[in-house]
Amino acid sequence: MRNRLRVLRAERSWSQGELADRLGVSRQTVNAIETGRYDPSLPLAFSIARLFDLAIEQVFEPEG
Amino acid sequence: MKPFSAGFHTGRDARNAGGFNRWMLAAAIAYIAATAALRWRAALPAISPALQWLLVGTALLFAVEATRRYVLYLRQADELLRRIQLEALGLGFAAGAVVALLYPLFELLGAPALGGRGIAVVLLLAWAAGSWLAARRYSGGT
Repeated sequence: MRNRLRVLRAERSWSQGELADRLGVSRQTVNAIETGRYDPSLPLAFSIARLFDLAIEQVFEPEG
Repeated sequence: MKPFSAGFHTGRDARNAGGFNRWMLAAAIAYIAATAALRWRAALPAISPALQWLLVGTALLFAVEATRRYVLYLRQADELLRRIQLEALGLGFAAGAVVALLYPLFELLGAPALGGRGIAVVLLLAWAAGSWLAARRYSGGT
């Protein structure tokens, strides 16, 4: 699954640590999502979309 | 002792891991004390049967509490950390099962006896290795 997390975070000038704190996850979790090594759970994906005030499909989209 | 996946901890995970580590350490110390007491009970009359039961019971209680703390750590863990730990536990369980089932055949071929403690050591080492491998798999670039 592809995502725009790094771009969205950069637009707000947040560090990975700041975003992790806002989401209640570890910094490595944010890093793993941004680099595509880990696909978040549905609740976390919704939390991310809500944090950026976007629909979930505006943040995540399936590969291919 | 920090687990290999320590970089994946939130503040709550770190606190839970600390609780688990402390009880694990207490259980290890109690286990060593109970083992030593049972081994030398014939030579040391001060080690009464009641004391022997107390030492073994203490080791068991501490181990049960450490297990409870680990379950709490796992249940409340950051979701990526939980995945890493589950992959590590899977590897540990698989390695333990393989060794427990197959090593007796090697013993029949003349390999040294491993015993229950040996299997437990293999399981724990595989858990640690699995933890390191999974943490490595999901990290990178930073």
